[in-house]
Amino acid sequence: MNDMRMVEREVDTKEVKISARDCQVYYGDNHAIKDVNVDIEDKTVTAFIGPSGCGKSTFLRCLNRMNDTIDICRVEGQIKLDGEDIYDPAVDPVQLRAKVGMVFQKPNPFPKSIYDNIAYGPRIHGLAKNKADLDVIVEKSLRRGAIWDEVKDRLDKPGTGLSGGQQQRLCIARAVATEPEVLLMDEPCSALDPIATAQVEELIDELRGRYSVVIVTHSMQQAARVSQKTAFFHLGNLVEFGETGQIFTNPQDPRTESYITGRIG
Amino acid sequence: MPDREHIVTSYDRDLETIQAMIMKMGGLVEAAILDSANSLERRDEELAERVRLGDKAIDELEERVNEECARLLALRQPIASDLRTVLTVMKISANLERVGDYAKNLAKRTSVLVQMNPIEGASSAIRRMAKTVEGMMKDALDAYIQRDPELAQDVRMRDHEVDQMYNALFRQFLTYMMEDPRNITACMHLHFIAKNIERMGDHVTSIAEQVIYLSTGEMPEDNRPKGDSTPYETVELD
Repeated sequence: MNDMRMVEREVDTKEVKISARDCQVYYGDNHAIKDVNVDIEDKTVTAFIGPSGCGKSTFLRCLNRMNDTIDICRVEGQIKLDGEDIYDPAVDPVQLRAKVGMVFQKPNPFPKSIYDNIAYGPRIHGLAKNKADLDVIVEKSLRRGAIWDEVKDRLDKPGTGLSGGQQQRLCIARAVATEPEVLLMDEPCSALDPIATAQVEELIDELRGRYSVVIVTHSMQQAARVSQKTAFFHLGNLVEFGETGQIFTNPQDPRTESYITGRIG
Repeated sequence: MPDREHIVTSYDRDLETIQAMIMKMGGLVEAAILDSANSLERRDEELAERVRLGDKAIDELEERVNEECARLLALRQPIASDLRTVLTVMKISANLERVGDYAKNLAKRTSVLVQMNPIEGASSAIRRMAKTVEGMMKDALDAYIQRDPELAQDVRMRDHEVDQMYNALFRQFLTYMMEDPRNITACMHLHFIAKNIERMGDHVTSIAEQVIYLSTGEMPEDNRPKGDSTPYETVELD
């Protein structure tokens, strides 16, 4: 029967991109993430779902060491990207974040031109030798962000002048400009209208051909629509992780069932 | 199946409504099975007529179930066990509607058969067969309401008995027809009746399978005993 699964839902590869083992996160005394073990596959969209405060965003932020910026936050256990421990002291978090890009809930373009929004990352990481190189990167990134046609005639205008949906796609384009391998998205559509949401979801599906995408979402339907794998977090535990179709038709854990069906849980 | 309620209570009411409609349909269909078989045995044309007319109510209920399910799918986007509930309600209502049609067909043939000489032992055998199917139906619907996959599995296994009864009747009717060609018309009608009751059993089996899917999330393995090949054997006339 698995051969009959709809084509676009096929997971292209089984290669593990990120693997977490016995991951614990503490905010001071608060044990926010407990014993999380998960393998995130390459060229796959993985959705993290769960009620507010369940730790899904905290865990997402561990994957590119965004939690380093919070003083009282302590991460234990092992998180490996392509087999290398990202919490190794030798790893430069800035380089790591170029490889593991991030898109946030609220579109946050820099108060600069559309062009400079995209060019900023490649410039500081020295990805372009000259202006012509940079032009190519900017166009390629904006195309990957599915926003090129809408902004190509106004690259010198401020990014903040775009609509919310366009700003979010600009941020996605900015995130892909540094050629990341993983894209983390923390509720990327919660501030967008349904049309802009559909455009971002279509974009996520296209990005999957190239990157490993991890998305945190409060919309169960969105998780069901865009992801191939779904992880359900509850009270800091990873309760269930599996193929999205299975999670939404036949979840194995009663806590998953209660949460996704809208029962008190 | 979580027994906790939804945060949105009207969602629970919607799901209860479609399941209540299935139970109502089930009650009507069970009665139609017994009444149609009784009408044949007692040669009661009036009862047969009531079964024929009663099928309309079953058809209407099926239509309402489909409408309500479509509405629920559109408005609530059910998932997991809620989704399985809606899917199984739709399939079960289709099965019930078909069984209702078979009962109606049986009642129609009753009106024809009362004009002919009775075939010895046939109508009581058919009533027993119908009674067996009705008992399976009752258990399948009980299993549905109680989300009881074991009872549903038991129902699946019992379909074998119905198949055997059909095969026995098949042989019996063949014998009668060979003995006296004047029996052919009645035996043909009786054979269709037996075949239709056998088909009812298949629909009840399908309902039981839906119960297993609903409660476990998976369709059962196909490991039921199969009937013999009586209907596919050729008979030589001496």
